[in-house]
Amino acid sequence: MRAEDRERAIAEVACRLVADKVAAVAGDGLESLEALLLDAVYEERLRLEQAGRDARAAEDRRFIEGVRQRLVHAGPEELKALLHEVVEHYAREIAGNFDPRVYQLATRVVPGLLALLLNALSPQRLLERFPELPSLSTNVNVRGEVEVLRRLAERGTVILCPTHLSNLDSPVIGWTLYHVGLPPFLYGAGLNLFSNPLISFFMHNLGAYKVDRKKKARLYKDTLKEYCTVSLEYGYHNLFFPGGTRSRSGGVEPHLKLGLLGCGLRAFVNNLRRHAERPDIYVVPATISYGLVLEAETLIDDYLKETGRARYIIEDDESSRLSRVASFFRGIVNLDSRIYVTFSQPLDLFGNRVEADGRSYDRRGRPIDTRRYVMRGGEPVHDPQRDAEYTRELGEQVRAAFVRDNVLQATHLAAFTLFEMLWRRFSERDLYHLLRTPPELTLLAVHEVRAALDRVLARVRELVAQSRLRLDPRIHDATAEAVLAEAVRVLGTYHPRAVLRRVGDRVGAGDLNLLFYYHNRAAGYGLERAVVPEARAVPAFDLSRRPSGEPLLPPSEPPPQIRPPVPAGLEELVA
Amino acid sequence: MSAAVQDEPTPVAVLGGGAWGTTIAHLLAGRGRRVLLWLRDPEIAEEIRRQRTNRRYTGETRLARGIEPHTELAEVASAAELLFLAVPLAGVREVAYRLGEVLTGEQIVISCAKGLERGTHRRASEIVKEETCIKKVGVLSGPNLAREILAGQPCATVVASRFQEVTARATAAIMGPGFRVYASSDVIGVELAGALKNIIALAAGISTGLGFGANSLAALITRGLVEMTRYVTACGGDARTLTGLAGVGDLIATCSSELSRNHQVGRRLARGESLDAILATLGHVAEGVGTTQAIVEHARELGCEMPIAQGVYAVLFEGAAPLDVLRELMARPPRREIGIGAALG
Repeated sequence: MRAEDRERAIAEVACRLVADKVAAVAGDGLESLEALLLDAVYEERLRLEQAGRDARAAEDRRFIEGVRQRLVHAGPEELKALLHEVVEHYAREIAGNFDPRVYQLATRVVPGLLALLLNALSPQRLLERFPELPSLSTNVNVRGEVEVLRRLAERGTVILCPTHLSNLDSPVIGWTLYHVGLPPFLYGAGLNLFSNPLISFFMHNLGAYKVDRKKKARLYKDTLKEYCTVSLEYGYHNLFFPGGTRSRSGGVEPHLKLGLLGCGLRAFVNNLRRHAERPDIYVVPATISYGLVLEAETLIDDYLKETGRARYIIEDDESSRLSRVASFFRGIVNLDSRIYVTFSQPLDLFGNRVEADGRSYDRRGRPIDTRRYVMRGGEPVHDPQRDAEYTRELGEQVRAAFVRDNVLQATHLAAFTLFEMLWRRFSERDLYHLLRTPPELTLLAVHEVRAALDRVLARVRELVAQSRLRLDPRIHDATAEAVLAEAVRVLGTYHPRAVLRRVGDRVGAGDLNLLFYYHNRAAGYGLERAVVPEARAVPAFDLSRRPSGEPLLPPSEPPPQIRPPVPAGLEELVA
Repeated sequence: MSAAVQDEPTPVAVLGGGAWGTTIAHLLAGRGRRVLLWLRDPEIAEEIRRQRTNRRYTGETRLARGIEPHTELAEVASAAELLFLAVPLAGVREVAYRLGEVLTGEQIVISCAKGLERGTHRRASEIVKEETCIKKVGVLSGPNLAREILAGQPCATVVASRFQEVTARATAAIMGPGFRVYASSDVIGVELAGALKNIIALAAGISTGLGFGANSLAALITRGLVEMTRYVTACGGDARTLTGLAGVGDLIATCSSELSRNHQVGRRLARGESLDAILATLGHVAEGVGTTQAIVEHARELGCEMPIAQGVYAVLFEGAAPLDVLRELMARPPRREIGIGAALG
């Protein structure tokens, strides 16, 4: 956010929230200001018990102790003042430290830096292609409704909602936006990304604001939402991963978190009420498809944890290790692996299709006046229950777009086919048992795998023809043999242990967990029925749950934080 | 907040001048609302306007004052904020498509049609959402035999919507001393229950027609409820809805009343009449026939076991003799009684 807007936004957020809360107390009397503040004090103290001894934590302790002491004797006016202070404190923290000079440079410099980083990591390529600068555009392919997105970004405010698989998603999206000529989007990044030295560099510069998922106080969450709302009203495009956290299973996210989408509707109504010039807010789902995933090992391990809950916040994965990031980029460049960013059909806040003219259309192609959805008695009004329902329906459309625009690559299809074959061959085993199968027992005759893959490909092409799925264009007409060879080449070399390996005339898994991980991207399309012709029904994988049956939702308690070591050599790279 | 609804600022529209549409219009007008009733037949419109009767569908009942019949759909639809859609399921898509030309997102559509579209397996409320820009849809279903309502007998129903505003406004508009409305958020369950019970009503009619008494009927209703619940949960509805007015309530009313059209069809089937002959002389639509076809086909796709519905399907469309079907149902392997309690968890 620009400096002048930032201060205005913080003040606005504080005023609105205090007014809202005061009105709510006067209205139904269900919550008191005191209870809200006590909740904030309680949650903050709980969090700070676990927090370290750094300056930030000390500052937070001082602040919350001050609030607590004043709360004891506070009268009605003092309560309002305290509420204002707490919200402003949170809002200031969320908005982050801002350096306008960095912001000015960010758009131009960052993509260059990303390319430079790639070059530095791939000297071989640099030499080969010299003097032509290698660019991410070879490996990152942008597809879908780019032109519509560009037009909509001029007509109104855009909320971009990509699938979330890797910590590289935000840099990739940042680069993509630059590449297609769009300004940077505001982005509510988890604090863990700021403490990841590699990623944080990009975060600070891509208009990111800070989301501390360890802060559980209701007031904090309300402040965050109001900040989003205000930023949308000011016309800042927002980037939001509705999956909430990186997909652990590797599959398309089964549950979406609707928080920021809901902010969109609030902002829209506010825009209408103050007769804003460009009140419309558009939602653009996007998918990011990786042939290889940087943090695959950590993510699938986390998904498969039998005991204990998943770590909602992972701070020590591959993305914080420079050598791994370097080898990842080297891998995708040398293996010519692809990252597809696909912009889906844009939607309005009610889940209707939006065209480049900025208007919404029903399924019969008739224009819709979206303002009417929020009107009552001729006036635009907020109605939390109604709006939550609109947002839920929008979420369904976003999720449908994810499924439709998911781009399957050779790695996914080969892993899917082999894993499903093994799942049937060892059908007496449960998933964990299967995953512990020694690799030498997983070898299957290559002609059988090819035949199965051939059927899967045929089914995939049918789905592609019906626009229910996308396929890497490079394998659009490829034979099963070519797809399998490509998958063995890519999956056999990047990961420390080969995911797929060819031994003579047999193909097998080297790492079953990772095979399962890459398999999961192709799950949910009924492709398993194509693997074995006329196979008996085997239950499909429910990726919304852990194999233990535990639902895959963020844990309610913050896990202990482990700080990663700062990788050496970063300063030289980005200087 | 959203539930706090004042009186409807505009007239209420009822789309469909059959028995159910006319009855709903009568209820609304009886509550003092201005009601715009859309129907296709200009003669019936004229009859309602001049004599306040709709003899073809509601007999000699004098309809409440305040019903304004119209034959122009667009005029009616654009004049009201709250619309009750009461056309037979087979007509829903066409009417909804035409509504799509005029409706805006501010308006509310309450679907009163019971059934499932063949081929697409869509419920009426889903069709409305596909064909119009409307998001605020609701459904109305329950033990509501039109003739009893018109006779002024007390009854209750369910209005379901994901939007509290919709249930609140529909309730405020139609609830009166003789007509009690309960709200639900389970659109799928309420809407499907209303469709499914017609299949069981056909079976009940067959049972009665064969001369069987209370024991047979009770077994049919109870086991029918089990397979209804199975289907509703397979479609994402809430099993608990089936224990309510739209489920058990409607099932009891439809299966025990000889007024029900589906019941009549069943009785005549048991006497050996052919389906075509029955439908040709019925004069009204028996929703159960089309619904059986759509639901049995869908249940097969879902892998959902519905032996009674399958049996009704065999009688209706495969020329099976009712007694043979009954024999097959009775000869199914013995099993534990997993009542709807199991589905409730």
